[in-house]
Amino acid sequence: MTIGDKAMKTIIQYLAFGLLGLSLSAATIAGPEEDRKAFQNFYENRFPDTPVNDFQNGVYSILPSAREQWQSIEEFPPYELSVEAGEKLFHSKFVNGKSLADCFGSNGAVREKYPHWDKARGMVVTMERAINECRVANAERPYRLKKGKIADVSAYMSFNSRGQKVNVVIPSDDARALAAYEDGKEHFYTKRGQLNFACADCHMYTAGALYRADTTSPGFGHATSWPVFRSKWQEMGTLHRRFGGCHKNIRATPYKAQGSEYSNLEYFVSYMSNGLEFNGPAARK
Amino acid sequence: MKNGLRIIAVSVALCSSVAFGASNISAKKAIDGANAAYKQVAKETSYQWTVTASAIKAAKKAFDKGNFSEAEGLAAKAMKLVAATKLQAKIESETWQMRVPK
Ligand code: HEC
Repeated sequence: MTIGDKAMKTIIQYLAFGLLGLSLSAATIAGPEEDRKAFQNFYENRFPDTPVNDFQNGVYSILPSAREQWQSIEEFPPYELSVEAGEKLFHSKFVNGKSLADCFGSNGAVREKYPHWDKARGMVVTMERAINECRVANAERPYRLKKGKIADVSAYMSFNSRGQKVNVVIPSDDARALAAYEDGKEHFYTKRGQLNFACADCHMYTAGALYRADTTSPGFGHATSWPVFRSKWQEMGTLHRRFGGCHKNIRATPYKAQGSEYSNLEYFVSYMSNGLEFNGPAARK
Repeated sequence: MKNGLRIIAVSVALCSSVAFGASNISAKKAIDGANAAYKQVAKETSYQWTVTASAIKAAKKAFDKGNFSEAEGLAAKAMKLVAATKLQAKIESETWQMRVPK
């Protein structure tokens, strides 16, 4: 049997159209905005009793039994000292006479600008990175990345930014921004470590389940309340410190704080929480 | 009967000394191999397990104490963990999309 030229042409056209159709539908399904809607819908359906705005409160948004204790802790917030320390650091003068206020305005209420895509450098810039870059640009040494002064300054700036909305943008004119978002997304959904868990396993599909002594929070709202004072740490820590802790728990080697892996992950997780309010710093178990 | 037992005991001892007949050279080779494989997978996939790093570290420690058999065993364990990490990275790169809610 031979296939005539015309039939061959039809087949090729059919194939080409079919492939085109496929790639078009893939593009419409996989866009960040569609991702975000599906992500938020998932949690709203899973936890119908939680008002959408309450997802910013982590595990306490779905765990009424722990909520009361948490609220009483928040009445005398353990992060208060950190906010005060951060205020001093924020306004203290660098050797060159300037201060962080020269980079971030008089009270540092710029949380809503982070994380953002820096087109010139082709990378995600988190607020903690920006704080250190301001210091380095003024000939000061950068802070250590997971706790201590960086968390204090971040706590002060977040406190003054309370009520601002998460509004992460993925600029459509730079394919690298979408790639960074996709990298963070893949990270969230891939199983890692010897225990073979994905972030999504614990914080999405089994959110609310007990892992050892802890109930897992919904991933929706994960980036809103940082930095936090954790009772387990007995001190403040940044979001990337927490990422590292979750990785260690599943026996995956943590990545560097403020490296591209965790920054892209923060970019994705924050984008998923678009529309929620920033309410950091916060207290956690 | 007694003789039979003695033969078995001797041959077991012989076998194990062959199986675990690690020298400082073979142990060093095993550790270097595991270390290189660990770094290679991390570079190619960004997947890294803490337990692999611990096994390599323990192997080095055993080596430094002169326990070459133990060191070689630990390096072999690390090698298996590297293989598992690689497999995980491969499976995940092919299947993670299934976990994204639509
Ligand atoms: C084995 C289960 C498990 C995995 C996998 C896991 N976590 Fe967690 N995570 C926890 C538990 C338990 C807590 C503490 C309770 C909670 O969720 O606040 C936590 C806390 C957190 C918090 C703090 C939430 C808050 O409001 O204080 C963040 C953020 C977080 N995880 C992100 C991640 C990310 C990102 C990943 C993937 C890299 C991940 N986790 C993987 C179990 C897990």
